[in-house]
Amino acid sequence: MPIPTLQGLQTALSGLMAGQDALDVTGHNIANANTPGYSRQTALLQTSNPLSIAALSPVDGKGAQLGTGVGVETITRIRSSFLDAQFRNESSSLEGAATLAEALSQVQSALNEPSSSGMSAQLSAFWTSWSNLANSPTSAAAREAVVSAGKQLAGTLKSLGAQVEAVSSEASQRYATITGSGGEVASDAEQIGKLNTQIKIATEAGQPPNDLLDRRDSLIDNLSKLAQVSVTENKDGTVNVSFGGAAEPLVEGSTVHWPQELSASSGGQLGQLLSLTSPEGPLAGYQEALNQVAAQLSESVNALQPSTPFFTGTTAASIAVTATPEQIQTGPEGEPGANSIALSVAALRGGEADQSYGAFVMKVGGDVQSATSAQENGAAMLNAVEERRQSVSGVSVDEEMTHLVAFQRGYEASARVLTAMDSMLETLIEHTGRVGL
Amino acid sequence: MTERITAQMVSGSTLRDVNAAFASLNRSSQELASGKSILQPSDNPYGAGRAIGLQSAIDGLSSYKGSVQDGISWENTATSALSSIGSVVQRVRELTLQSVSGVNNEADLENLAGEVEQLTEAVKQDANVQYAGRYVLSGTLTETAPYEAGAEDAYKGNEGAISRAIGPGATVQINQSAGELLGSGPESEDGKLLDVLRTIATHMREGTAEAKESLGGGDLEKLDANYSTLLQMQAHTGSVTDQLRLAESRIEGVKDTATQMLSNVQDANVAQVSIEYASQKAGYEAALRAGASIVQMSLLEFLK
Repeated sequence: MPIPTLQGLQTALSGLMAGQDALDVTGHNIANANTPGYSRQTALLQTSNPLSIAALSPVDGKGAQLGTGVGVETITRIRSSFLDAQFRNESSSLEGAATLAEALSQVQSALNEPSSSGMSAQLSAFWTSWSNLANSPTSAAAREAVVSAGKQLAGTLKSLGAQVEAVSSEASQRYATITGSGGEVASDAEQIGKLNTQIKIATEAGQPPNDLLDRRDSLIDNLSKLAQVSVTENKDGTVNVSFGGAAEPLVEGSTVHWPQELSASSGGQLGQLLSLTSPEGPLAGYQEALNQVAAQLSESVNALQPSTPFFTGTTAASIAVTATPEQIQTGPEGEPGANSIALSVAALRGGEADQSYGAFVMKVGGDVQSATSAQENGAAMLNAVEERRQSVSGVSVDEEMTHLVAFQRGYEASARVLTAMDSMLETLIEHTGRVGL
Repeated sequence: MTERITAQMVSGSTLRDVNAAFASLNRSSQELASGKSILQPSDNPYGAGRAIGLQSAIDGLSSYKGSVQDGISWENTATSALSSIGSVVQRVRELTLQSVSGVNNEADLENLAGEVEQLTEAVKQDANVQYAGRYVLSGTLTETAPYEAGAEDAYKGNEGAISRAIGPGATVQINQSAGELLGSGPESEDGKLLDVLRTIATHMREGTAEAKESLGGGDLEKLDANYSTLLQMQAHTGSVTDQLRLAESRIEGVKDTATQMLSNVQDANVAQVSIEYASQKAGYEAALRAGASIVQMSLLEFLK
């Protein structure tokens, strides 16, 4: 069987069309070079089905298969789900560490240590005021100074306690906002559910929905900041997303299960917010440490002021100075010049209360230091994974330019083949059978 | 397989590098501006805790120093009062000897007795000496004068102790009571200075042989006994002053050491940080320059 006369035209046409499709895909890639979450796409070219020619050889009559050109098999996105899983894991850890570091840094800033205006300086000034009173027990100004130093100290303790409390309630509020109806979790989950439905339809029609898949992956990336996620792919192209160790998957096909109970071990921002505000969390520990300072301060000073207690209240929130300057006792009753009690109070400097407060500052500093370095490590890990992901899926403009040139040249060459075929046919049609004319 | 490098990767890592270089530059600049290497407890938690403790200790030493200086002034006040009383006692001794010499007539004796009485008032006046508005020889009743001017000789103060803190857990008593030396006058018959002075004046006025005998004998002995009490009190004042001065110089030394330690813990090493700052600045500039040239390059520049 001979080769069909117009087969060459068909082959050249397939080259032109494939070149055009590939150029379109390249154009799409370049257009999305800076789109977050975009995975580069590639047109998979494949040779078209060959034409069987039963008896080609004039000698032995053996047949052959003649290639008929090229076609675009499909357009796929280049992405590694393994790297996605790694990215999401690191993203959860980083966000958790960042949330912790941010909250603890707020407490640290409230301390304002070491400085000449922090609570340590006020404690020191309080003891100094007692020592001045011991030098002149009958001075009204010295008595006044003791009361005002005490009031300032109590006020600072109270405001430190209040600031720790504020950080804690801010964390609860943030948790409520993110997990509430209309919050980030609910809206991401709903969009993933809808995308699942669309993806399922496209997949069943045999058309890979690359851009929809990218959008769904971006949403899951975003969820991974909030808590740990794990993704199970179904055969129909949909995914199930489990979230923060909650009992039911957050998204199951097109169904969303939310709200659900999370825990301090859920990871990500939400897990960290829960652990911050839990009774075993760092903020509760800080509050307790401040209460201890208040109790030690109040008890140690009051023990030396038998007739009228100097402080009332034994917690950071309740401590206050109730004694008036006249009620302060410097020595035994009826001996205005005696200073034995004032000396004993001044000697409390460097005692329990000072030490507890110093330990508290060290604790906060150490916690912030380790949270910050966890955050830095997390950021480095996440960057490493993101680089690898970009290396696989990111659009390289240089590469696309090279493709652009290659496909353009291919298109031009196919067009030249078409011209050659045309001129061959022209020879056949216009110039054949005209001998002697 | 060679790793693919995309423009996003390059711009992302350039941005991170520039940020990191800028952050360390900023840190050095903060250290230089504040002169401190610990700006927040998290920079060095243990160091921050230590700095707080040392600062409080230094404040404590300053207040000990204040107490010690106050104590020294107090002692100076007491010393001058005691030495003034001492010269009175010497003068009374002379007058007493003069009264028993035998050449005195009644008027002379009356004059002598009058002078002794005046000196007695002067002693009471001296005992009422004040430091910063407080009676220093009145025990802990520092707002009460130990003696009233006039015939009433009773001691109004008490024997309470007033101390000054001179170091952690160390105090020293700075006051002495006037009652110990002056007593409460003839009514109490305590044989102390006022009692003796009043008795001497009385005996001078009596002028009898019996009176003269006791003036030259028992009265003079009692006066001498009181004088030696006075000397003891003066010696005590002197030794307390010495103790306070020693404490003052010791506190200075300890304070210097503590200040040095605090500086080692929390102050920035300016020379080192300055050098670091210079090299960080160079690093930052290099990061900016490299970033600026690499980010804008692509194959597009060369395809025409």
